[in-house]
Amino acid sequence: MAELARFEEFGYRYPEAADAALRAISFELAGGVTLIGGPSGSGKTTLLRSLNGLVPHFHGGQAWGRASILGADLRTTSTRLLARAVSMVFQEPESQFVLATVRREVAFGPENLGLPPLEIAQRVDCSLETIGIPELAERRIATLSGGQRQRVALAAALAMRPRLLLLDEPTSQLDDSGADSLRLACQGLAAQGLAVVIAEHRPWRVDMPGCHQLELEQGSLASPRVHRSGPPALPARRGLATGAVVWELNDLAVGHAEPVGTGIYLAGREGEVVCLTGPNGSGKTTLLRTTAGLLRPLSGALFRRPGRCAYLPQEPGGILHQATLLDEVRQTIRWLQLDCQPGPILEEFELSSLADSDPRDLSTGQRQRAALAAVLVGRPEMVFLDEPTRGADPNSRALLLKVLDRLTAQGSAVLVATSDTQFAHQIGDRVMELAGGHLRESSEQAA
Amino acid sequence: MNPRALAVWVAAVLLLSLGSEDPVYRVLTLGAAVVVLAVRRRHEVRLRPALLAVGAAAALTILFNFLLSHTGQNIVVALPGWLPALGGPLTVEGAVYGFDIALGLAACIVAGITLSLVAEPHQLVDSLPAALSRTGAAVGASLTLVPRLGHSFVAVREAQQMRGWRPRGLRSWTAVLVPSVLTTIEGSVLMAEAMEARAFGSGPRSALATSTWRPSDLLTASAAGGAIVAFVLALVLGQIPSWQPYPTLLLPALNWWPAACCLALFAPVLARG
Repeated sequence: MAELARFEEFGYRYPEAADAALRAISFELAGGVTLIGGPSGSGKTTLLRSLNGLVPHFHGGQAWGRASILGADLRTTSTRLLARAVSMVFQEPESQFVLATVRREVAFGPENLGLPPLEIAQRVDCSLETIGIPELAERRIATLSGGQRQRVALAAALAMRPRLLLLDEPTSQLDDSGADSLRLACQGLAAQGLAVVIAEHRPWRVDMPGCHQLELEQGSLASPRVHRSGPPALPARRGLATGAVVWELNDLAVGHAEPVGTGIYLAGREGEVVCLTGPNGSGKTTLLRTTAGLLRPLSGALFRRPGRCAYLPQEPGGILHQATLLDEVRQTIRWLQLDCQPGPILEEFELSSLADSDPRDLSTGQRQRAALAAVLVGRPEMVFLDEPTRGADPNSRALLLKVLDRLTAQGSAVLVATSDTQFAHQIGDRVMELAGGHLRESSEQAA
Repeated sequence: MNPRALAVWVAAVLLLSLGSEDPVYRVLTLGAAVVVLAVRRRHEVRLRPALLAVGAAAALTILFNFLLSHTGQNIVVALPGWLPALGGPLTVEGAVYGFDIALGLAACIVAGITLSLVAEPHQLVDSLPAALSRTGAAVGASLTLVPRLGHSFVAVREAQQMRGWRPRGLRSWTAVLVPSVLTTIEGSVLMAEAMEARAFGSGPRSALATSTWRPSDLLTASAAGGAIVAFVLALVLGQIPSWQPYPTLLLPALNWWPAACCLALFAPVLARG
């Protein structure tokens, strides 16, 4: 099989960074699927960026060693030229969209290749079909859920018909069906001789026979870990909370203009974790936001006991604006006039060593933990978390579980909206599925 | 709506609102711009934020002219001369002229935002000649930043409120504005990175679709084009009476010729469908 990429002692440092993000990396890529593992901040995204030239050409900084992509020298070939054969789906797909509708967004790449309109249309339809979202073709991107946007980004990458496809946490917001479609698409591409490189914290979701592995640790290649066929075992909760009802939904209809859920009955008790799962676009975020008091219900009754609500939005980076992570946690303490110190929550999320870092310089996974620390400091009576495991490595998931255990032991009522069903079943005392506009107990749990 | 037809209409609004200082024509032009925006906007577009912004810009214009012109015979109040810039008589004429300028400014802004709130960014890109397609794509991408900033502002405000933030004076808004702007800037950098990674600028672009002309677009373009030609002719032939509130405030004169040009700007409403 022809060699698609070769790295020899390749290293890279971002501008103004003290440490190198990649150190003496050597590997070869032929066809097939390669999974890149490693904890948050280990250099996975940087390695993907170097495979299409964004590192060093777009980001600047200093690169050393040798690297060639499709026979071209990485250090002298621009990203836009490499992009004709190398496609990438970014970790935050919502930021990569250029145009307003799904069809035009997917067509943007092929248009840049100067293809005839008929071929562009064929590629758009084919890639939307492959990812399983042909019905979204005419939708506006602003109206899509996080998971649906991730699928659109994948379709846009496939429409380029690349020889090398780079996927950065491609399943972080996908439901199981979306992850299955992605795995099948990758298998199909690999069978055609293409190379697919995936950085993924949940490798079992995209694992397939013959898959290669690279493991990164602090910017260096390490021995690949054997990844399991499922998430690392965490002690499942399954408590039967008997505390007082903290919030309750009675015959609720939720949505913006049109209802996405009707006839919803649900309650959260002291010391209980309720998880909301469901397919992408089913209305999990809308229901969570309504319960938290950020959206008005369309009809029905919503009771929420007076008390502090801690809320983590789906894009948590937006709330971080202080110069250091320590100041960010102190800000919440000051605003809420809490009687506590920032140290313990930073320790709980293993962020003490990053306390003086600018939150916006952190990796996506670290930022997620930083935002969690900023909103969960103290003892909130109610906790509402939207996709809290997005970009989280197994260690971060375990840390979150510990924090939620502490909070529930202190009497907090927790509601989590997540497309990560395995995590939901690990942490949830009850797991509810929102699908087709109706809420029911998850069949897996019911069984 | 065909973006080229819309562009001709926008050009007509700009010409008519800036080509004469007569407030009657400016009122008609602004009225046409607001009605067309309200009727032809994309169904998901909310008018209130845009109109509030235009209203704020107009109010500031009136205020500045009232405070800074110091010209005219009808004095409302005289501020002490030692006040820098503000000292001197504040006049009715100053306020009226400020109102007139605000009308023109508002018409221009409404016309500009009509272009982005009626047509999709990709329609604007498609309507450009091939030689400008790359510039057009970059402009199309930049048009998405305004709604992104709005989305980011709402999301950050909600999240900060849940962390205990409460609006207390102007300074407190930095906790919302700073992360909103930072997030939008970060989003712009990511978008630029993604455009680079999607081969933008690697060679000549093509387009999935090109813009088409319907009878209603032809009617809009003809009416707006006709208004441009007629208004320029009226200017050349001296058919547009000049108007100035200084030094004495007089009612503006009305001439049917430029007024008819202004009324032609309502064509996109009649040509709907």
